[in-house]
Amino acid sequence: MNLRAEGVSFRYPSGVLALDGVSLDIPSGQLLAILGENGAGKTTLVKLFNGLLRPAQGSVHIGDWDTAQHSPAALASRVGFLFQNPDDQLFERTLAREVAYGPRNLGASEAEVAHRVSRALKLVGLQDMADAHPYDLPAPQRKLLALAATIAMDTPILVLDEPTIGQDELGCRAISRILTDLHAMGRTLMMISHDMDFCAEHAERLVVMLNGKIHLDGSPAEVLSQTKKLDEAEVAPPQLVRLAQALKMRATPLTVDEFVDEYKQWRKKKNK
Amino acid sequence: MRGGSIYIERTSGLHRLHPLTKVALTALCFASAAALPSLAWLLALFVGLLLPLAIWGRLTAAFLKSCLLVVGPFVISLTIIQGFFSGGETVLFRLGRFAFTQEGLLAGLTFAARLLVALGGTLLLMQSTPQAQLMQALTERGFPPRLAYVVLTAIQIFPSFQDRAQVIIDAQQARGLELQSGLLSRVRLLLPMVGPLILGSVMDVSERAMALEARAFSSPAPKTSLHSLADSPSQRILRWLLVLAAAALLAWRLWSALQ
Repeated sequence: MNLRAEGVSFRYPSGVLALDGVSLDIPSGQLLAILGENGAGKTTLVKLFNGLLRPAQGSVHIGDWDTAQHSPAALASRVGFLFQNPDDQLFERTLAREVAYGPRNLGASEAEVAHRVSRALKLVGLQDMADAHPYDLPAPQRKLLALAATIAMDTPILVLDEPTIGQDELGCRAISRILTDLHAMGRTLMMISHDMDFCAEHAERLVVMLNGKIHLDGSPAEVLSQTKKLDEAEVAPPQLVRLAQALKMRATPLTVDEFVDEYKQWRKKKNK
Repeated sequence: MRGGSIYIERTSGLHRLHPLTKVALTALCFASAAALPSLAWLLALFVGLLLPLAIWGRLTAAFLKSCLLVVGPFVISLTIIQGFFSGGETVLFRLGRFAFTQEGLLAGLTFAARLLVALGGTLLLMQSTPQAQLMQALTERGFPPRLAYVVLTAIQIFPSFQDRAQVIIDAQQARGLELQSGLLSRVRLLLPMVGPLILGSVMDVSERAMALEARAFSSPAPKTSLHSLADSPSQRILRWLLVLAAAALLAWRLWSALQ
């Protein structure tokens, strides 16, 4: 399911213009990361996608639905949303009940709910703790639980607000694996993150926002090579990219393997 | 105005007054609300003292709006209840077998005016004094710092409570909870909202307590304050006069009642 924002503007009651004429087309199945400094408009933009905010100007379409015509609860069947802080949503007595809450709201049958709960918990690696209390889990695992609750909604589009925040290396690897699995299932994934290494490694497309506008939009290699524009948006490229730039390598390596390959070639050229 | 804070930032003489001077004024308002005998006296106090103070504090619109919002419903309900049910000789009109009397109307309006005067004094204090300054003034006069912190935190927690509640509502709506279909869905929202709100707040309090202890909150050493509150001999005299006037009014009222 594709997602389209056309000339969207949004102003908060305080008077702050958070979005200023933003247009964005996201084809079905794309894994996209939205970057930018705090206050750039990232969260406001994604909240328009599930109807939590309504554009003052312009329109947002999820497939053939105009978000202005549907409530957030109705849009929840198309756009899943992982909030930054899992503790803002967890309230049930067990992990299984917590994950079941969303599908039940969407009217799934009990058999379907049980299937989705089991599948989502398995995907995030919490299947053996289905009967535990959510607050018996450490914070990083509560984030995985919130992710499972979002996945169980079975939406074609998933928005993840800072999925790696508060995660240790193991947690980041788990989230990396989950995103890869979801992407392979054909879900459209959109993440807001300050974790540049993670975004560069996983996203197919990077969108950099500045002052409520789209400042850069393209493949990670295209976007991360534009040092000056990234500087303007206060976005620092990943360490590998900065290292490659410091060495004046032409390519923009996004993973360690890519860097090693590029480095070998660069050394060869240097030695000639 | 947001959450528990109704302070309005302005540059004015009222704002510059020492918080305790405004506390003394509020005490006088409460004493007047209890002691003044008639509607005319109460309205005269409001128009002759509180309104000019609000104008001096550049708070006129906000002050009148708050008075209207709070006292308005009381005026309506009190005049209806008193007008119909407190008795009296002068019947203004009848609804079935119930008579609405002039004496009842006057009693209702007088009661509402007492609320108006008490509320007016409190509003002037709260709209012109940051809570932190008020607590500082009280702790400087021996109010226990722990208690001051509890009071201040309780007031300041409202805005963060509001913000968190909104995020929680957003999060549960994003999980398919329908809000727009009336009372039932709002009742259904209670548990998903109250659970995270309370648990989150308990965790916040716990972290806040640790952060405070890490900064020597419980240290027995006398505390110094970063900011000093401006005071003057004339304000001290004014405070005493206001407190004496309040005490005199209450004493007079008590004496009148005993006669």
